[in-house]
Parts: sequence; C-alpha cells; structure tokens
Amino acid sequence: MAKAKVKKDEPTAAEPASDVVMDEAPTSHQPEAADDGMSVDANENEDDIEEEEDEEEEEEEVQRVRLLPGSTPTAASFEFLNEGHTLGNALRYIIMKNPEVEFCAYAIPHPSENKMNVRIQTFEGTTAIEALQKGLRDLQELCDVVTDKFIDARERFVAASSS
Amino acid sequence: MDYDPMIMDDAEALGPVVKISQADSVRVKWELSNTDMSFANSLRRVMLAEIPTIAIDLVEIEENSTVLADEFIAHRLGLLPLNAEGVESLLYSRDCDCDGCCEHCSVRLTLHAKCTGDENMHVFARDLVPTGDRINQVLGTPVITDSEGLGPLILKLRPGQEIKLECIAKKGIAKEHAKWAPSAAIGFEYDPHNKLHHLDLWYESDPKAEWPPSEYAAWEEPPQEGEPFDYDAVPNRFYFNVETAGPLPPDVIISEGIKVLQQKLAGLIHELADEGGDGGVNGGGYNGGGPRSPEYGAGAGVDGFNGGGVHNTLWRRRRRESERVGWRRGGDGIWDDAVRGGEQLVVRGTLARRGGGLLTT
Ligand SMILES: [Zn+2]
Repeated sequence: MAKAKVKKDEPTAAEPASDVVMDEAPTSHQPEAADDGMSVDANENEDDIEEEEDEEEEEEEVQRVRLLPGSTPTAASFEFLNEGHTLGNALRYIIMKNPEVEFCAYAIPHPSENKMNVRIQTFEGTTAIEALQKGLRDLQELCDVVTDKFIDARERFVAASSS
Repeated sequence: MDYDPMIMDDAEALGPVVKISQADSVRVKWELSNTDMSFANSLRRVMLAEIPTIAIDLVEIEENSTVLADEFIAHRLGLLPLNAEGVESLLYSRDCDCDGCCEHCSVRLTLHAKCTGDENMHVFARDLVPTGDRINQVLGTPVITDSEGLGPLILKLRPGQEIKLECIAKKGIAKEHAKWAPSAAIGFEYDPHNKLHHLDLWYESDPKAEWPPSEYAAWEEPPQEGEPFDYDAVPNRFYFNVETAGPLPPDVIISEGIKVLQQKLAGLIHELADEGGDGGVNGGGYNGGGPRSPEYGAGAGVDGFNGGGVHNTLWRRRRRESERVGWRRGGDGIWDDAVRGGEQLVVRGTLARRGGGLLTT
C-alpha cells in the first residue's frame, strides 16, 4: 500500500517534461495515431501480466530510493528513505573517489523526516545512476576488504598473544 | 623469522589497514587506517545502533508485592543484557506469521521469587529462567559474567514479598531502543595531538599541562615546535575501543557491524537493479540509459518524433495507466539481467532480507 503512495508522488517529477513532448506531437499524424491505438491495447495486455507479477511482488519492501524532480542523466538527486549519516557520508566519500564524478554531496533536509538526499553530477562518460550503483558496490568492496583485514589482524593477534 | 606487522603494514600503503592493540572477552582496541573518516564513522554508527540483538520487550506481571512499581521493574528487565548468539536466525516479530509471538520470533523468560526467610532477599538475573522452545540453547539467556554467577541485581525482596512475572524477549536494534545495543561503549578517536585542530581545547593557562595525552599519542608523530598548520591534512588513523555489554563477543560486534553495513548496501543495490527498468528510480524523470524514453534533453522532442516519439508517448500513457491503478510495472529484458546481477550481490552479503523472508547464505 505504501508503495502505491510513494509511486503517486513520482509523476510530478516527470509531468512537466512529458507534457511538453506530448504537445509537440502532432495530433493529425495518422500513422502514429493508428500505431498508438494498437499499441495501447497491446500494452494493456502487458499490464495485465505485469499486474500478476506485481501481486507476487506485493510483499516486497517499500521503494526506498527515488529520483528527485529536475534530474538529468549526468546530474541527479536521489532521495533515500530510512537512511541517514551512516550511509550518506560514506557513500558521498566513495562516490567522490570515482574520477568520472564531478560532484557528490549528501544532505538530511530535515531531522524529523527520515530521508537522506544524495546529489551526483558526473562528467560525460557515465551517468549519475551508474555512479550511484558503482558507489554502492565500491563501498561493499571496501567493507569486504576491512572484514578480511580484521580477520587477519585478529588471527595475528591471537597467534602473537598465545606464543 | 620474526614477523613484524608494522613493517608489513607500512609497505602496504594501499587500502585500509587494521591493527589490533588489545583484545579480550570484553573489549577490542583496534586501529583502522588508510581510510576516510566517513567510512570509519559509518562503522562506528552501525556497531552502536544497528546490530540486531535480543532484549526483553514485554513483561506480564502476575504478582508484585515488592516496593518497586511494575513498570519500574519492567524497565530494569528490558535493560538486562541477554545472550544474542544465533539471533540471526530469529525473526523480527513484526515479520513473523504468528499472532503476537512464538518460538521463531521470541524467547520467553520467567521469574518467580518469594522471600520466605527473615533476611532481605536479592533477585538476580540468574533467577530469570528461559522457558519453552528456543532456536538454540543459549539465545536469550541472561548474560552473567561475575565470578559468583549471579548477574545483575534486578530487585530486592523484604520478608514476605513476592515477585512473579513472565517476559517476552524480542529481536531488535539499538536505533529503536538502546536496550538492544550490543556494546557498552564504542570509543572512537583520531588525531591524538590535535594537529588538525578539530578540537578547541579549553584551558586555564597551559593546555599541554592540563590535557593529559591520549594513549595513542605515542603512536603518532607529535607536532614540531613552530610547525606550520597543514591545511590539506585529513584524519587517516582511527582508534576504536569496542566494549561489549555481553550479548555478543567484542570481535563479533565488529564483524557484525560491517555485515550490517553490507546488508544495507546489498539491499540498495538490489533495489536499484530491480527498479532500474522504469517505475522505480527512473520513474521520477527518465529511463536511465534505456532507449525508449528520451524525455529530457534537447533532442527528445524533435528526433523522438517518428521513431522514439511514438514509443515515448505510449510509454508515458502506459505509465499513467499503471499509476492510476497503482500497479508497479515489471522490468524488461535488459533490466532483468541487472536484477540478476543485483541478486548475486545480495547473496554475497552473508544474510539478506528480501520481502518478509530471510535468506541466509
Ligand atoms: Zn512469531
């Protein structure tokens, strides 16, 4: 249920852009209109299938990452639900390490709202989403490394103190 | 040949380095270096507040003729450290299918004591007895570390007074209530000489005389007399002191902390891969890299006219349709691969949560 609510917020982001394109499409363009009609039917069937899939997925968690309005491929803001400084600062650091990234920052706009925003601006070579995904993976890798190093250090410590 | 970790670590300047300086059953003092403060702090925060443990959450009092109020006793019981070994296979009771609580999501403990002698009687944590089925034989047992094997004092009874109650211990994290914190304290320190001036030390006449040096001061080069301030310097060595309250051994707190951080990341990676198709992250504005929806950018309106434009319009209509009904749209072929990629990553994070079920690997 909560998912539906979250989704409802999204069109606001897309609406201005999509309306502009819609208006520019000529209404009298016959082939397109015909195409349009047919495909809509096709899509409705597809939606039915998707609906079934959705019901299976219904149990899944609420969507926790959202793209904020005004984002472009290389400059985007993401809103994370139920995340804070714990993820935000470390993610900011690791994303900034990516040489393809021009700018990255995070903010918690209001302390009583459980939301954390991340802004990413990249150079042409990559997109903000890719940079975000890479950041998450890199941070996970860093965690792996620290885990390994800690296990090593512990073994060394145990060996040193028992001898 | 003697192995000197110092030389090894200095030579290996790439990547983070971990050094343990002291470790026993209660605490681990260790140093994390060659990494950023933001990561070290994330680790501190996650160890402090997000490692799941078990603590008494509900108390049913049957008899209480002590001088202490019911809620006062319930509060004391909540703060007792309980053994959290194996808590990863316990469900959060909000995720359990049961009505209220069961052996999959809780541990029951009972306490019944009556002072029948003529001396005051002390009731300790050892008098709290786990009952019913448990995931393993230690989960939820009160932590007892004193030499007499008594555990913390819960209350005292005068002659004739009685206490009888039943507790339900549940899984939780310290972000919700501090009683679920596995650690008593997590020391976090850097820059023992305050070279970076992150601290502005108050003093009467001489800060050097009035502020005793940290135990780590000997580990780092003291500032030279008249040394100019280094504006580019950033903290690089972080000294942790992880002290357990008993639920988990201190080294497990550290590895569990990293694990929790990884699960957090795995969940997000999974979600981004999952939602990547359309409705998700991209729903707000664009279809990340997908060929179908050039909604933004200068070219979109013009060259999306015959080719992309048709599709574009349809795509938007479909989306509106699905929004109206509140559907969530599934991904397409391209993104299915991404989803699979995501799943792999989830599996790598040792314990992953998806939907209501627990996946362990
Ligand atoms: Zn249950």
